[in-house]
Amino acid sequence: MHIPDHYLSPSTCAVMGAAMIPVWTVSVRKVKEELSKIKLPQLGIGASFSFLMMMFNVPLPGGTTGHAVGGTLLAILLGPYAACISVTVALMLQALLFGDGGILAFGANCFNMAFVLPFLGHLMYRFVKERVKTPRGEYAAVILGSYFGLVVASLCAAVEFGIQPLLFTDASGQPLYCPYPLSVSIPAMVIPHMLVAGVVEVLFTVFIFTFLKKTAPGAFYQSGKKTKAIYGLLAGLICLTPLGLLATGTAWGEWGTAEIQDVVTGGTSLGFIPEGMANGFSFEALMPDYSVTGLPEVFGYVLSALLGVAILIIVFKLISGVVKAPRQHQI
Amino acid sequence: MTLRSEQHGKSMPRWMLADEDYVPATDKDSFVNRSILGLMEVLSLVRSQSSRAADRFSASAPVKVLGTLLLVVLTAMTRSEIFLITVITYLLLQLSVMRAGEISSVLKLSFGAAAFTAILLLPAVFLIEGYSPVRICAKLFATVMAVNLLSRTTRWDHIAGALKYVRIPDLFIFVLDSTIKYILLLGEFSLEQLQALKLRSVGKNRSKYTALSGVAGTLFLRSVEMAEEMHSAMECRGFTGEYRVIQTVRFGTADILHLTIHIGLLVFFIFLSRG
Repeated sequence: MHIPDHYLSPSTCAVMGAAMIPVWTVSVRKVKEELSKIKLPQLGIGASFSFLMMMFNVPLPGGTTGHAVGGTLLAILLGPYAACISVTVALMLQALLFGDGGILAFGANCFNMAFVLPFLGHLMYRFVKERVKTPRGEYAAVILGSYFGLVVASLCAAVEFGIQPLLFTDASGQPLYCPYPLSVSIPAMVIPHMLVAGVVEVLFTVFIFTFLKKTAPGAFYQSGKKTKAIYGLLAGLICLTPLGLLATGTAWGEWGTAEIQDVVTGGTSLGFIPEGMANGFSFEALMPDYSVTGLPEVFGYVLSALLGVAILIIVFKLISGVVKAPRQHQI
Repeated sequence: MTLRSEQHGKSMPRWMLADEDYVPATDKDSFVNRSILGLMEVLSLVRSQSSRAADRFSASAPVKVLGTLLLVVLTAMTRSEIFLITVITYLLLQLSVMRAGEISSVLKLSFGAAAFTAILLLPAVFLIEGYSPVRICAKLFATVMAVNLLSRTTRWDHIAGALKYVRIPDLFIFVLDSTIKYILLLGEFSLEQLQALKLRSVGKNRSKYTALSGVAGTLFLRSVEMAEEMHSAMECRGFTGEYRVIQTVRFGTADILHLTIHIGLLVFFIFLSRG
C-alpha cells in the first residue's frame, strides 16, 4: 500500500502532509500525557518493531507469501497515538533510507497507514469490545478492527489515486499523474485488500494477540475512559476526505452519477464517502475557478493548500476544545 | 550394579535395533526463508552504512539531504523532458563514482521501481488514447536513484540529524535515530528466532501461523523490555526528558560544489517553466 512518488500530484501530497500535521501534534501530546512515565525509547523501539513486522512473511494459499502491516495490532498494544508515531517513523525510514514509498507521497502514506489504519482499527476494536464483553467478543473486536482498518486504509489510497485523473490533466487532456479513475482504482485496490491482504492482517493480528494474551496479559495498552478524542479524530478523518478533493478546486462537475454509484458499490465500508462528498459540494463556492479570476494555476494550488491547512487547524482546535471542556468539569 | 548389567545384557531395547529410515515429510516453508532473507538484507544494509568512514570529499549530510529533497520536488513538478534528462544525467554521473557493487544495487532498485510502474500503468495505454507512461517511469527512476544515492553515501544517523534543518522536531529525530539502532538489535534477535524455528521444524509444520506469531509476539515483549532498559540507562546518565540535536556545521569545497549544482538545476527549472 506504499504509494510511490509521481503517482499523486505535488499539491495532493502537500494537502495530505498538511492533514497529518495536526494528527502528529495531537499524537505527540497525547503520548506524553498518557504515558507520563514514558519511556521515550518505547516510541523508537516500537517503530523498529513495526518496521520489522512488515518484514515477516506469512504463508498464503498456493505457496505464496505476503506480509501484514500490523497497524491495528500496534494500536492495541501501544495505543493508537503511539502507534501513529511509530508507524510514521517506520514509514519515514522506508521512504528516506530504503526508497520504499515516496518522499513527496510520505504525507499520503502516513495518512493511510499511520492515521486511518491504527485509529480506525482501534476504534472498531474498542467499539465491539465494549459492547460484547465476552472473550469471544474480544476476538471478534480484534478481527473486525484489523480487517476494517486495513480495508478502509486501502480505500483511502484508492481514492487518492482515483482523483488524480479527474483533477490533473495536461493541455491535451492526458492525465499527468495516476491515470486510473476511481472506477478502476477503487476495485483494483480494495478487492485484493478485502480478499487477501485483509485476511492476512486478521490472521497475523489474531495469532499475535492470542500469544500475548497467554504469555503476557499485562502488556496491552490500557486506554482511559476518554474515548472522545478518538471520535474527534475520526470526525476529522471524515472531514479530510473532501478536503483532499477541495485542494484543487476544479473538476467537481466531472463527477458523473455513475462514478458515484461505483464508489458506493465498490465495498461495504464506503458509507462515509458519499457523506463526505455531500459536504464537499458545499465547499465549491469557497474555491472559485481560478481560470476565471486569471490567476496562475500555481497560485491556486498554494492558496487551496493554505486554505486546507487553515481549515484543518481550526477544525482540530475546535474538536480538542470540545474534548477538553468536559475534562475540566471532572477536575 | 549386577542387577543393572544383567538387565542390559538380557534385553537390548527394540528401537535401538531397528533401522533408522525416518524421512521427514517435505513442507513448504518459503515464508520462513523469505522472512530470513528479507531480514538479512536489511541488517546488512544497516551494518554496511554504520561502518562507513566519513568521506572527506563528500558533501555534509544536511547539504545532501536538502539537495535530494529539492531534486525530488523539482522532478515531481517538471513537465519538461529536457529537465528530466538533465536530472537523470546528473544522478548517473554521481552514481558513476561509486563502487561497482553499489552501482549495481542502486541500478537494480531504480530499474525495478520503473519496471514495476510500467507494468502497473500498461493497461492505461490501452484504456486512454495516446497515453504514455514513460514520463512517470522516468520520474520514478530518477527519484528512487536520488534517494538510494543519498542513503548509500551518507551515514543514517547523519541523515536523521540533518532533518533538523527541515524543521523536524528533535523528538522525531531521536525516535528515528533509536529506530535505526534497534532495527539492528531487534532484527538480529528475530533472525536468530527464525533460524531456530527453521531448525526445529522437522517434517510438516501444521501451525505455521502459531509458530510465526510466537516469534513476532516474543519480539514485541523483547522490545518492551529493551525500551525499559534503555530508559533506565538514559535516566542514570542524567536524561531529563528533553532531547536536543546539536549540529556543528562544516562547510567545505564539496558542499559549495554540491550547492552550486543544485542551485543551477533550480535556475534551469525556473528558466524552462517560464519558456
